[in-house]
Amino acid sequence: MEFSFILNGKRVVCDISDNQTLLDLLRDSLGVTSVKKGCEQGECGACTVLLDGEPVTSCLVLARRIEGREVTTVEGLVDDPKMKSLREAFLEEGAVQCGYCTPGMLLSAYSLIRSNLDPTEAQVKKAIEGNLCRCTGYVKIIEAIIHAAKKLKSE
Amino acid sequence: MEYANILQDLLKRDEYLIVGKKVARTDALDKVLGRALFTADYVPKGTMVVKVVRSLQPHALIRKIDYKEALKIPGVIRVITASDIPGENQIGYALPDQPFLNDAKVHYVGDPLALVCASDEYSASEAVDAIKVEYNALPSHLTVDSALASDAIPIHDGGNIAVKTRIRKGDVAKGFKESTVEVEETYETPYQEHMYLETEAAYAIPEGSDKVTVIGTMQSPFLVREKVAKILGWSLSQVRIIQALTGGAFGKKDDMGPLVCAEAALAAVLVGKPAARIYDRDESVAYTPKRFPARFRYRSGADSEGKLKAIEVEITLECGAYANRSPFWLWRQTAHAAGPYYVPNAAIDGKAVYTNKVYGGSFRGFGDLAMQFAAESQMDRLAEKINIDPIEFRLKNILKTGLTTTCDQLLDHSVGIEECLRRVAEASNWSKYVPCKEGSRVRGLGVGCAYHGISTSRGTPDWSACSLILNQDGTFTYRTGICELGQGSPIGHAKIVSEIVGAPLDFIHVELPDTSSTPDAKPTHGSRGLMLGGTAAADAALKLRDNMLKVAAEMLECREDEVELKGGEAFERGTPSNKISFSELAEELYARGISPASYGFYASPKRYFDPETGLGVNYSVYTFAASVAEVEVDLETGETTVLKVWPAMDVGKAIDPLMIEGQIEGAVSQGIGFALMENLILEDGVVLNPFFKDYIIPSALDTPEIAKPILVEKPYKHSAFGAKGVGEPAIISIVPAIVNAIHNATGIRFNTLPITAERLYDAIRRSRQ
Repeated sequence: MEFSFILNGKRVVCDISDNQTLLDLLRDSLGVTSVKKGCEQGECGACTVLLDGEPVTSCLVLARRIEGREVTTVEGLVDDPKMKSLREAFLEEGAVQCGYCTPGMLLSAYSLIRSNLDPTEAQVKKAIEGNLCRCTGYVKIIEAIIHAAKKLKSE
Repeated sequence: MEYANILQDLLKRDEYLIVGKKVARTDALDKVLGRALFTADYVPKGTMVVKVVRSLQPHALIRKIDYKEALKIPGVIRVITASDIPGENQIGYALPDQPFLNDAKVHYVGDPLALVCASDEYSASEAVDAIKVEYNALPSHLTVDSALASDAIPIHDGGNIAVKTRIRKGDVAKGFKESTVEVEETYETPYQEHMYLETEAAYAIPEGSDKVTVIGTMQSPFLVREKVAKILGWSLSQVRIIQALTGGAFGKKDDMGPLVCAEAALAAVLVGKPAARIYDRDESVAYTPKRFPARFRYRSGADSEGKLKAIEVEITLECGAYANRSPFWLWRQTAHAAGPYYVPNAAIDGKAVYTNKVYGGSFRGFGDLAMQFAAESQMDRLAEKINIDPIEFRLKNILKTGLTTTCDQLLDHSVGIEECLRRVAEASNWSKYVPCKEGSRVRGLGVGCAYHGISTSRGTPDWSACSLILNQDGTFTYRTGICELGQGSPIGHAKIVSEIVGAPLDFIHVELPDTSSTPDAKPTHGSRGLMLGGTAAADAALKLRDNMLKVAAEMLECREDEVELKGGEAFERGTPSNKISFSELAEELYARGISPASYGFYASPKRYFDPETGLGVNYSVYTFAASVAEVEVDLETGETTVLKVWPAMDVGKAIDPLMIEGQIEGAVSQGIGFALMENLILEDGVVLNPFFKDYIIPSALDTPEIAKPILVEKPYKHSAFGAKGVGEPAIISIVPAIVNAIHNATGIRFNTLPITAERLYDAIRRSRQ
């Protein structure tokens, strides 16, 4: 069936099958490879996208459910000042190792600091609780998110 | 060549420009932009899908594999079984006990039987289900004791013991006679699953009739090439392997690289179409190698002064269905059995035993992690019996320069464990700590020490190679077979090159390993990636630097030793206005036919080793680590929270402290998982919890406070700038520190991991009865 939704600010018209997930639609049909497949059960967070601004695991969302809605991935936030600040902090703080969880992690972090530029460590941990990382032990990711928020607040 | 000194003399720098500094990883930019490509990202839509048909029986003879019905499913292209393999049907690592596709017998639930090639995922899955396998079931051995029983039937020809190891140092009977205290305990450690975020993947493209290119997840591109070529019956030059950025590996992708790439390559070549093979999460967890489970019977003795006198250790390693890395794993446990302490008398025996379960394989810490859990529990128990502080007891026995290991290897330099231990004791305020209780919560402090031999064991030579090209615009192209898995070794090489040739880090472009153009660097394992690979990088950089200096001196009309290379420019020292850019210099090298490229090579020094006694120069150098952990246990629920960890490591020389901190912090998380949480459940040989939702790994909420890691620098004289490997040693001391802290808090000591809330709750209840 043909349907349309907003991907990173642009209307996209595409064909989908009934049982196709948003994750498969993004990766296989639309070539958005920043969205990673890690478990297909909504447990690892590697496929996190923003759906109408809220982080969701795209592997658990049926593509046909997003008709007319807005989907944002890191590609859509290249020029966003908050995402830019997060990216810089992730690089400077050494919050990136293998990088497989990174796009999803950034989106969960972005969702947090969009509404809270003064997050506590506990709030940051809570915000990224659903994004698993096996490399970093989360320490530098947490530090990077707090630093990015602080920097944005002081600007 | 003693690199550590040579580089310092040669570069004449009071302070290094980049080595030892925290520098943001240039290779991480694409990762934060979402532009970094992993294997699955290369696979075009509509590519043929490959899936594996697996055994549902733990131990059985195969009567028949019937795939007639599967071929009738629309979309199914071909089913491949053992008889279709053009080359050798063998993928075993240490021993030739592992068929690539089984046609005679299955050895565990999950043993591969056939490959299904289909136009899409659904048809492929349907075909896997439609294939009927008839078995003659055999009695299965699901424990090492069952496999070792006198009436056990052999899982492989030659019986159920895959390999044995042995060390005899001094006189153990005499050592125990001199001991006034003795402790004897049996410890058991479980499987651990790697749970990297990216599952195993490969994309194979056949070229013409006799070539194939495979892009995949791996740690050793050249091992992958060897195994793929063997299965295809081709020469090495017909197979091209490219390692894509890999989403975590921790050892398992060293085992799985050859398998997943061969699965894709065989399908692509036999069908004549590009093929994608991507593991599902449950397949990755249930059927691929894990940390080997082990049992340790450990007896140790010390005298009234607190000096260790003897250890006697018996190691029973469970291989599972195949030997895989067990000979090397078991040897590491055997060699590291004493921990980083001087013990005059040691008798250590190990055996690796086959069972009909998912097999073990490489995993960060490689045997040493489980071994130190046992060794460090023994140390705490001995200290308690002697009534001496656990750190004081360790310091009385700690390895120092001039002492020998259990393999009787004399440590002549680069031994920083004493400093690590003293500094974590100080940082954690160890001597003043009082275990406290608040309501149902009790707190305690524990210590763990570790040492880990880097690279190959038993005197086996090790070497690494790379290439470096100066391009006409003054940038550099660097190629190494050492893989980027998240740990950042290749970017570490780039930093070494950057320091030596005087180019900014972003001038050095690191190519993905490609067996058609990259020199063999040997595997990215054994914490050797930076130490061996980075020293080859230093060699390449030094050779190219020589050519650059020679031409620059002529261009600047000064002596070679007056030329400084810095910031992408060559200039006369003292007269910086007399300068040329690297692009001008490069043009000149090309124009004069002076090589703008170099081949870097490094071989570890030759060593003596006696396989009979297990004595000699075992590993060329050791990395040392010590940690203190503070935990809080809720006596009402049995739940343990790690509050804070103080880690220290002797890294030789920190090429980049930020990346080392990242390794240590990641290791703390994995260590917490192994010590407290991760619990693979098997029933009748079937893994029951193959998903993130039931095999629980630490999340951000489980992250303790981690004190700034203390980096002790006792340079290794045979590596670039003196660096030693850090990835594996980082995890080893964490687990015993947590376990010992739980004992300090509760008085309860566990000989089995993981210490889940349920187990601790039961133990607390029992202790109150």
